[in-house]
Amino acid sequence: MSVGFADAGGGHLVEGIARVVAADGVKVWLEPEQTSTCGGCASAAACAGKTGQSDRRLKARRFAVGNEAGLKVGDRVVIGMSEYALIRASTIAYAVPLLSMMAGAVTAQLTFGSDAAAMAAAAGGLLFGVLVARVWAGRLQESGDLSPHLLRRVGPGEDCHVG
Amino acid sequence: MQELILLIVGTALVNNVVLARFLGLCSFMGVTTKVDTAVGLGMATTFVMTVSSVLAWAVETFLLVPYGLGYLRTVTFILVIAAVVQFTESVVRKVSPSLFQTLGIYLPLITTNCAVLGIPLLNVHDNFNFIQSMLNGFGAALGFSMILAIFAGLRERLALAEVPRLFMGPPIGFITASLLALAFMGFSGIHTN
Repeated sequence: MSVGFADAGGGHLVEGIARVVAADGVKVWLEPEQTSTCGGCASAAACAGKTGQSDRRLKARRFAVGNEAGLKVGDRVVIGMSEYALIRASTIAYAVPLLSMMAGAVTAQLTFGSDAAAMAAAAGGLLFGVLVARVWAGRLQESGDLSPHLLRRVGPGEDCHVG
Repeated sequence: MQELILLIVGTALVNNVVLARFLGLCSFMGVTTKVDTAVGLGMATTFVMTVSSVLAWAVETFLLVPYGLGYLRTVTFILVIAAVVQFTESVVRKVSPSLFQTLGIYLPLITTNCAVLGIPLLNVHDNFNFIQSMLNGFGAALGFSMILAIFAGLRERLALAEVPRLFMGPPIGFITASLLALAFMGFSGIHTN
């Protein structure tokens, strides 16, 4: 394990490659490279899904981490996040608002028996779920559970299809 | 209540969107190389498919039917789905930038998933009401996510198996998918929509 890089530990990690786009003495800003979701597809050039890799979207996904490893602009590193964190992030972002919306709609439908009431309750439930997700995600962000960790520098011949 | 539960079970298992209706096959073959990717896309698709079903029902009921615009249904539903994806992306980005960094990659892929369009169209075809449309969308998305995760697990094992050279890659993937579809035919005695 190189100095300044996180220990992967025993858990399974989701890995990806990121490039250093800015650095100061304390932090580096990383931009994720194209991942295996689109990069390996023979239809990548024609696929609308490739729009997810446009410069604007990649810039929006930039994030900062500590620079204990002494990285410079242009360096490529492997970043990792635990599989559990990914599933938890998915649950917070999607399952909480969705279940809240459905619970509201079904309850209103069974209580009032009208589509209008169910629609209003679904909208209210969705809003409530988004607020709960916001609070929950904020707590996890403060604890650092959702942050990717630097694992190692990209080795020779290592492309984006890692992990 | 029992009818609603049966609707979800029937859509998820019996009339599975991938293995029985053959929708969303691009994602099914393209995003199932790793379980974590499959789970991420599955969760995002579940959200978008359910919300799209709800909004498509509202557009159909309050706009297309009263004004006799049924011939614009497919185009309108595509717009609704694209709007839901953009809305979801914006909300996730505002709610938590760290969540967006983790999950944002999967959202654009959903706009190209024909299953997300197919379910609202099937809801209209079956004359579902608001709750039925929502639960049918949720059940279909649940079935889609489940199949994605199961198939990704199988393909991760296949990657370590000794496969004859001619069958490596997509051929053995399709053979595995057909066996999975045969297995799911076992659910056909439970309930049909």
